[in-house]
Amino acid sequence: MMKTKAISLAASFRDPSGFLFTRQGVLYRQVNQAYADDYKRLMESGLYEKLIKTGLLVPHTESDIRPADEKRSFKILCPERVPFISYPYEWSFGQLKDAALATLSIQKRALVLGMSLKDASAYNIQFRNGKAILIDTLSFETCEEGEPWVAYRQFCQHFLAPLALMAYRDVRLNQLLRVYIDGVPIDLASQLLPGRSRWNLGLSTHIHLHAIAQKRYAEVAVLDARGGRKMSKEALLGLIESLRATIRRLEWKPAGTEWADYYAASNYTDFAFEHKKVLVGDWLLKIAPKTIWDLGANTGIFSRVAAETGAYVISSDIDPAAVEVNYRRVKESKEQNLLPLVIDLTNPSPSIGWQNRERDSFLQRGPVDAVLALALVHHLAISNNVPLERVAEFFSSCGEWLIVEFVPKSDSQVHKLLRSRVDIFTEYTRAGFESAFGKWYRIQSSSAVRDSERWLYLMKRK
Amino acid sequence: MILIYLDPGSGSFLIQLAIAALAGLTIAIGSQWSKIKRLFNKKKAQNDENDDEDEGD
Repeated sequence: MMKTKAISLAASFRDPSGFLFTRQGVLYRQVNQAYADDYKRLMESGLYEKLIKTGLLVPHTESDIRPADEKRSFKILCPERVPFISYPYEWSFGQLKDAALATLSIQKRALVLGMSLKDASAYNIQFRNGKAILIDTLSFETCEEGEPWVAYRQFCQHFLAPLALMAYRDVRLNQLLRVYIDGVPIDLASQLLPGRSRWNLGLSTHIHLHAIAQKRYAEVAVLDARGGRKMSKEALLGLIESLRATIRRLEWKPAGTEWADYYAASNYTDFAFEHKKVLVGDWLLKIAPKTIWDLGANTGIFSRVAAETGAYVISSDIDPAAVEVNYRRVKESKEQNLLPLVIDLTNPSPSIGWQNRERDSFLQRGPVDAVLALALVHHLAISNNVPLERVAEFFSSCGEWLIVEFVPKSDSQVHKLLRSRVDIFTEYTRAGFESAFGKWYRIQSSSAVRDSERWLYLMKRK
Repeated sequence: MILIYLDPGSGSFLIQLAIAALAGLTIAIGSQWSKIKRLFNKKKAQNDENDDEDEGD
């Protein structure tokens, strides 16, 4: 028999309970002997069933394939795969908040059934069918009587601190999570939060007092600091309730930021807009992609046209307000195959963490079947000075098919971008665009957008 | 003491004990309070019980 190679995933090495690996493209999770009792308890206590029923934990089946590390193996699981792995620094405020509430909801249910989350990492939460879900089946341990929540600090760093900073200071501060892979340090959050956050009882305790306590007991071992104090089940539930109430009260409303009202303010008519929808829809039906990246998606109008064809769509935009609006629509309409994300295409998420391999870069999580780039090229080419040929090269690295819009200089949106600067973009014409993209793509179809000066193209990578 | 793989942090452990003691107390008082309320107003108490974000299980 031919031996197939197991490839361990670089992101799962910290937890001694087990690890992820792939074999022939299928994802498996090895449960180590050391975790056998906790795994049995998860499955037998009714907790697994309860979490699956409420859609809070990713379902798995037990598999009898050969383990990746036979000596330590207790069981091999085959978890259901989420369609796309995203990271907290790519989430809007509402997404991070829902991920936090899901984590607390899981912890509450676990406590009731005698278990507890041993970590509360935001990276363990993903979005599946539009809902936040825990993907790490090995996150549970038996709750020892009198023990505090070991993941409390991690929860505050991964969820509460960034959410508080976003709500009280600036929504862009979730980008701190890109720098601090284990969450925003509590003392840093305490310093960056405005004084008025001290009037919020939850923040004054979980962040400000927490920071003071950390500093004061920095040199003291955990056991000495506790002095034998125990924590009752009621106290643990009280802690979860306090965190939940604090997080639920944090609000951020997208208003007046960049492009959130873009559709209302743009100059082209409803007729042109509808024609664009028809063209995009028809072309997508023709090429039938399974996965799509809608880049510069704004609030996701065209992502929805794409999702209706049955594809799984990543709907990304640089503007956190647009992504928040987009996410709220996903929730309201219970949309299953659309994931809004905050991505800055001029500096997409890099690969970060240990050996630069813990979290994949945005591009490593591709390629996809088709890319949508509508009303985007002028932002990259003019605002960001990227030559058109390089823009085409970038798109071609993301996927085989491309639906792209060319917005000429005469359009008011481009005119606005050029208003305050010297026009150095002599190549920025329709002919220049076609020739630059022609180096990477074959143009399959093109059409003027009715009632406007814009053009839409369907292209296939060479 | 059980073996744990995350460093929970001494300060984080202590502040958690303090907050949890208070929060636990609040919950205890809260549940007594809702029992009292239930005595006076059965309908109102039922609504309070349903006031939970948990997805109906």
